[in-house]
Amino acid sequence: MSEYKELIRQFDRIRSYVRDFYVYGFKTREDFREKSGRTYDNHRRRMESWFSPYIKTDRSGHKKSVFLTIDSGRIPVNPLYQAWRSKTFTDNDISLRFLLPDLLAKGRFLTVEAIADEIQKLNGCLMDTQTIRRKLAFFEKEGLVIRKKEGRQYLYGSAENLALSHPGLLTPLWLAVSFFQGAAPFGFIGSTILDFWNKKNEYFRFHGDYLVHTLEDEILLPILTAMERKCQILLTVKSTRSRRAGDVAITPLRILTSTQTGRRYVCGRRQDSHRFTSFRLDSIQNARILEPDPCFDRYMETFADTFPYIWGVSFGNLRKPETVTMEICFDEKEESYILTRLDREGRGGALKRLEPGVYEYRRLCLDPSELLPWAKSFTGRVRSFHCSDRAVEKRFWDDMNLMEACYLPSDAVPD
Amino acid sequence: MTRNKELSLFSELYTCYYHVVACILEEAKLHPVTRQDMESLAKEFGYDESALSIVPCLTGHVWPLLKQDSKKADSYRSCLEHGVFPMTLTLLQKAWLKALMSDPRFCLFFTDTQLQELKTALENVEPLYRIGDFCLFDQYGDHDPFSSVMYREHMQAILSAMGRRQPLHVSYLSGKGNIISHTWLPCRLEYGQRDGKFRLYALARRKNGRQRMDLINVSRILSLKETGNPFPDSVDVEHFLDREMCGEPLVLEITTERNGLERAMLHFSCYQKQVERMTDTGTYRCTIYYDTRWETELLIQVLSFGPVVKVLGPKAFIRQVQDRVRRQADLKQHK
Repeated sequence: MSEYKELIRQFDRIRSYVRDFYVYGFKTREDFREKSGRTYDNHRRRMESWFSPYIKTDRSGHKKSVFLTIDSGRIPVNPLYQAWRSKTFTDNDISLRFLLPDLLAKGRFLTVEAIADEIQKLNGCLMDTQTIRRKLAFFEKEGLVIRKKEGRQYLYGSAENLALSHPGLLTPLWLAVSFFQGAAPFGFIGSTILDFWNKKNEYFRFHGDYLVHTLEDEILLPILTAMERKCQILLTVKSTRSRRAGDVAITPLRILTSTQTGRRYVCGRRQDSHRFTSFRLDSIQNARILEPDPCFDRYMETFADTFPYIWGVSFGNLRKPETVTMEICFDEKEESYILTRLDREGRGGALKRLEPGVYEYRRLCLDPSELLPWAKSFTGRVRSFHCSDRAVEKRFWDDMNLMEACYLPSDAVPD
Repeated sequence: MTRNKELSLFSELYTCYYHVVACILEEAKLHPVTRQDMESLAKEFGYDESALSIVPCLTGHVWPLLKQDSKKADSYRSCLEHGVFPMTLTLLQKAWLKALMSDPRFCLFFTDTQLQELKTALENVEPLYRIGDFCLFDQYGDHDPFSSVMYREHMQAILSAMGRRQPLHVSYLSGKGNIISHTWLPCRLEYGQRDGKFRLYALARRKNGRQRMDLINVSRILSLKETGNPFPDSVDVEHFLDREMCGEPLVLEITTERNGLERAMLHFSCYQKQVERMTDTGTYRCTIYYDTRWETELLIQVLSFGPVVKVLGPKAFIRQVQDRVRRQADLKQHK
């Protein structure tokens, strides 16, 4: 039986646990049945250790749920980045991480043998040259070390340290990194730069930030590579409803990020159905880059032509867009913010003033059901709602009736 | 051009244990450190149980990075000749920075000369991603004017003043169209991903000497000027924010219909929340603790779920929902 450790070898083993602890929070040991109870116990202990300031427990009966609760607007750095900081290493790995840059500082170039000698002399530590050579090769690949040939031997030196070679850039870079670590894709990388410079984010906070996106970043990287190289990609997708996994080949075209629902998607053209489809990044378990797609540019053009008719991420079932029209009423003098909302949240829909205090909003959508949540956010102001897809129109009014039944029971006396 | 796509995010180089050891070595370079010093650094920069693994490896010379101090028993000095920080950036980190250079917000932090210097420094680095590959499809259409010369000047003046606790005399256009001028100490910048706007948390002194924290949209600032009198103390912004937290949390009942649970859990994940499974009804009870200044935004979010999410409390919040539903019912009758 292996000993418990805080650090892990593979990130994908922990991804779904972190997500469940953070997004849901109500699950107990019995809900994690895909692996053994012992695996759950180890992961739970890790998470209690990684995220200790944000961990809470709840007991209902004899069942205990452990969860993460975070107000994303009050924290300087995404706590879920802690999961990325958990990779295992060996004693040699950590020793050489500090010994090598120290020996190669100030522009020194040394051979592997000279490095081994100096480590033995200065630190009393015997390391074989093969271990050092492998580590130098790793550092070279990661951009920390450069290698040059002198005579018959290779000499190793430190790569340029941006913070030392361009001291005037350090302060603006620190500010920019402090901001973008919370506001750009792959923000975790920004947080590691703060670590490398021993700096903190002192000035920025992020309102309505979806912290959970970071857990999808490892999947995102090969997808972006495929897009850049105009390649197809094989995705292993696990359905969030049926929990079944299957492979699907697509030509990825765009990453669609929702700032309001917490979801991110890759949109691409499916090779089996020849249709545009969006897949949630959190449902993708694996991504493997395939061959270049000669039709990439043509698909991209079609996508660009179609995208103005998409409300969110769905391309619907029909080739012809449906029309959604709604009339919104408000006090133009006292409630002008409603007009501002229609304008800035309407995603290019047409606005027309029908009469004082009544505006018509109209938009074409390939899947008009996607617009329903936004329309419902105007509850109390919708004078009419029409959709050329009658089922969508009916769904809207059915929901309004259900809201009435829910909040205005006929025998209730308003207080 | 250096290829960087094979680099991994999940690498030992970014392990928090390395960062803890780096902090200990930096400290041990300045003065001998005790076991307790190491444990407190591990607690601050590592995980909850990291000290248990890190400290014995350092003191036991398993990682040959510290040596016993000759003068003080149970104290250790760094074996390294040089300081650890700032460390050389990896290719992945540089590639991320290079990608950011195409982001319209990046220039807010730099002068043109600095941007040029950085561009030259990173000229052989391939960007990690292209900004155009991402689309924030539901971001509001009126985000801040990041390319505006005036906006950039204002941001840089605010950032500079924050670093030096320098109060600013600010004139700005209020939401109601009035020009308001006052002296504020800039304390914190908040960025809203949904609307693409920066808001400034700024401390104002009332005439009676009491302090209040105001929120100013940076894009509404018309002019600003340093007052020349640095603020003597640091400001605890959290203290002011705590005052804005709701007295009673929002309680929602969420059904599993139309994937409502999954949608709502993700949607409200940015709030401090607690979720319980109600075994008797098959529903879920979600308790959300929110900042009252964002209550309307939260109300709109709740309404967008329709009947899948029901507000159970507090009463004032239920009343707001009822008002809107009643108004909607009236509109329907007058159709």
